[in-house]
Amino acid sequence: MIRIEHLKKSYQDVTPLKDVSVEIHDGDVISVIGPSGTGKSTLLRCINQLEKPTEGRIWLDDMEITDPKTDINKVRQKMGMVFQSFNLFDHKTVIENVMLAPVDLLGKSRQQAYDTGMELLKKVGLGEKALNYPDQLSGGQKQRVAIARALAMDPDVILLDEPTSALDPTMVGEVQSAIRDLAQTGKTMLIVTHEMHFAKSICNRVFFMDEGKIYEDGSPEQIFDNPKGENTRRFIHRLKVLELDINSRDYNFLSVVGEISAYCSRNQIAPKMAKHITLMFEEVMRILVSGMNDLSIHTVCEYSEQTEVAELAFSYNGPRFDMTSTGDDLGLSILKGLTEKNSYEWLENSDYPNLLKLTIGR
Amino acid sequence: MKKKTIGKSTILFLLAAVLVGILIVLKESVICTASEQNDHVIDSLSDLNGKRIGIQTGTSFDAAVREKMPEAHLEYYNGKADLLAALIGKKIDAFIVDEAVAQILIRESKYVVYLPEYLDSYDFAPIFPKTRDGEQLRNQFNAFLEHLPEGTLDDLSVKWFSENEADKTMPDISRLEAKKGVLKLATESGYAPFEYMRDGKVVGYDMELAAMFCEYSGYGLDIIDMNFDGILPAIQTSKCDFALAGISITPERAESVLFSKPNFSGGTVAMILKENAEYNDSFWDSIIESFNKTFIRENRWQLFQKGIMTTLLITIFAVLFGTALGFVVFMSCRNGNPVANIITQFFMWLIQGMPMVVLLMILFYVIFGSVAINGVLVAIIGFTLTFGASVFGLLKTGVGAVGIGQYEGAYALGYSERQTFYKIILPQAMPFVLPAYKGEIVSLIKSTAIVGYIAVQDLTKIGDIVRGRTYEAFFPLIAITVIYFALETLVGFGVGRISVNINPKRRKESEILKGIKH
Repeated sequence: MIRIEHLKKSYQDVTPLKDVSVEIHDGDVISVIGPSGTGKSTLLRCINQLEKPTEGRIWLDDMEITDPKTDINKVRQKMGMVFQSFNLFDHKTVIENVMLAPVDLLGKSRQQAYDTGMELLKKVGLGEKALNYPDQLSGGQKQRVAIARALAMDPDVILLDEPTSALDPTMVGEVQSAIRDLAQTGKTMLIVTHEMHFAKSICNRVFFMDEGKIYEDGSPEQIFDNPKGENTRRFIHRLKVLELDINSRDYNFLSVVGEISAYCSRNQIAPKMAKHITLMFEEVMRILVSGMNDLSIHTVCEYSEQTEVAELAFSYNGPRFDMTSTGDDLGLSILKGLTEKNSYEWLENSDYPNLLKLTIGR
Repeated sequence: MKKKTIGKSTILFLLAAVLVGILIVLKESVICTASEQNDHVIDSLSDLNGKRIGIQTGTSFDAAVREKMPEAHLEYYNGKADLLAALIGKKIDAFIVDEAVAQILIRESKYVVYLPEYLDSYDFAPIFPKTRDGEQLRNQFNAFLEHLPEGTLDDLSVKWFSENEADKTMPDISRLEAKKGVLKLATESGYAPFEYMRDGKVVGYDMELAAMFCEYSGYGLDIIDMNFDGILPAIQTSKCDFALAGISITPERAESVLFSKPNFSGGTVAMILKENAEYNDSFWDSIIESFNKTFIRENRWQLFQKGIMTTLLITIFAVLFGTALGFVVFMSCRNGNPVANIITQFFMWLIQGMPMVVLLMILFYVIFGSVAINGVLVAIIGFTLTFGASVFGLLKTGVGAVGIGQYEGAYALGYSERQTFYKIILPQAMPFVLPAYKGEIVSLIKSTAIVGYIAVQDLTKIGDIVRGRTYEAFFPLIAITVIYFALETLVGFGVGRISVNINPKRRKESEILKGIKH
């Protein structure tokens, strides 16, 4: 249905899309997720040419959209778009917004367009607002009109660009249910969204976008429950990551602690949890520093917003040293008191053969 | 809607009340100041040394004043009606005119007299362009003067300087046989008895002399009435073939134009306030008298009618063409064409930065200098340019006020760029544009008041012409102000209707669902 080959979009100072190649099949309902600034919206806007790609080609069926000879207006008529900011025509009533393009562009009679329009408006629950102007509607109502407007053109594909991001939380539900109904009709859809549960519940395919490409492409079960890529996992579990490298016994303790507390406050980690993370780090470091000469430690702290659990991983060099079994008693008791789970592994042939993992729960 | 109408008419009523108030205050203040006792009696020219002397701009009388009364303060006014008003209002102590005019002034105003002593003597002569054709015509005029029967010029001055208006017959210049072509005569009709407006025609001593010359030499005559300041440029650029406007011969003027032999010699005198003049006119009598003089006498209302038509003609065409021009330029600049944008920016800078008078003068005397072109047409061109510049600016602001989302919404549905602009963007820009557009039209009507500089007789120029004839300082001014207000209200109302009709949110349900069964 839609085939994208080596799509690249760069602006003067950023390149949101580096290299995207993907095929979208008829009837696919695709959720496009990923951290902000990773080109999700840009991908959608490139598909209907609201943004001109820097490089690469896109086909809709057999027609090359990116070919300058293609009449892009005809292509766009087959691709409905729903915007984050609705973009309803403010000078037209709701029903006119829905009727306008079918009459002007598809040559439908006003009566025909009106009948279809009213049917669509009733479907999204807005039949009674037909003669209102957009500025008399709530955000959720506007977005439902925008969906009806896109459907009135009977498009082959519908692109939804963060359709609920600009809405008051109380209105997200009504728009989501309109989209859910739409997804069940079997139309090909691409939705850029930040609502994970919603994405999971309506789609049959997920694009996780990161680093300017489709980082992981799979079924919702695969992406949400069993992500393969490291970035996907971090994103799905909403992990906040801090990595620290310590390469000397005389490291600047204060500045490292400062970094940890900055990380905690940046990610709105609860004060108690922040305190535990810091304390844990201090204890482990104290034990390691006292026991080793040529010190080199790589620390990763991952905090999941979803589960509110933090995991600290310490990888360090030197001979096998499992502090959970040896070490000073006081430090160990603090350590064991705070952690929910701890484990030690010896990884042969690694630069950092010792791996200590500590999990701090709520 | 109802509320708004009431508000508007209340405002108009208040404005009218303020105007009448101004009228009363002006009149009263003139009479009050004039009735104060005059402390220093002025008997001779030497008494005027150190006093404030009024001079009409463009005349050459100031040189003589400087020479004879070195300590006098010179003040410049635009016309004799202004000088008279200034004298009566004691803004000046005297003003200088030539004796022939002074004789008329003392008949028209009972508050003034003139000192019999001549300040200076002068010679009037027609002027011609400093070109080969101009010189030829000058020589023909000199030959005509030489062949005039003895005493003809004296008879002419006796006739035009007399008190009896009925005797002052003017030959019909349309009957002249234009065997050798038609001559364009520049003049300024605010200078009775030499040239003035009567029954819608320019008549006077100079005009009859010009007609006699044309008859003698076999020319037709086309009299072009303009501001005195405009006469010299009109001759220098050969826009007119010659000028007769009570122009005195000075060496300075002779550097830029050719003078024939003098046709009239006279003296300049100083006009002063009469001592112990009686001011016993009632306010209403004087208003009625002013109205009579301004509108009824010599059917002057017809002049005003013509002036209104000219002002409207210039305004309407400038609005139509200017709107079209602004729109076309906007459309060609809209897509960011760099060449179109640079050219437009340059012209906007040029046209908007230039005083309107200068733009009109350049168009009339320089750009169309050698083309026989009607002043009204030049005025329409000039105002079309400035109005077009305003419309361009308005469209830029109005269209800029429509958000980018509206474009994207339309493009995403499959509208072409052109359809998007006309169907989606422009209708939304109009409500931003129209109120300011209305303001621009109103200020355009007012700014057309300067077209007198290029020989167009619009409403303001008619006011000046009538003032030059009646020496009424204020009444014609207030009268044209009222007429301007009426025109502006009319136009404002018209554009207001359009903006109501064009506002999409004012549509009725039946309009929105036209032709739909539901």
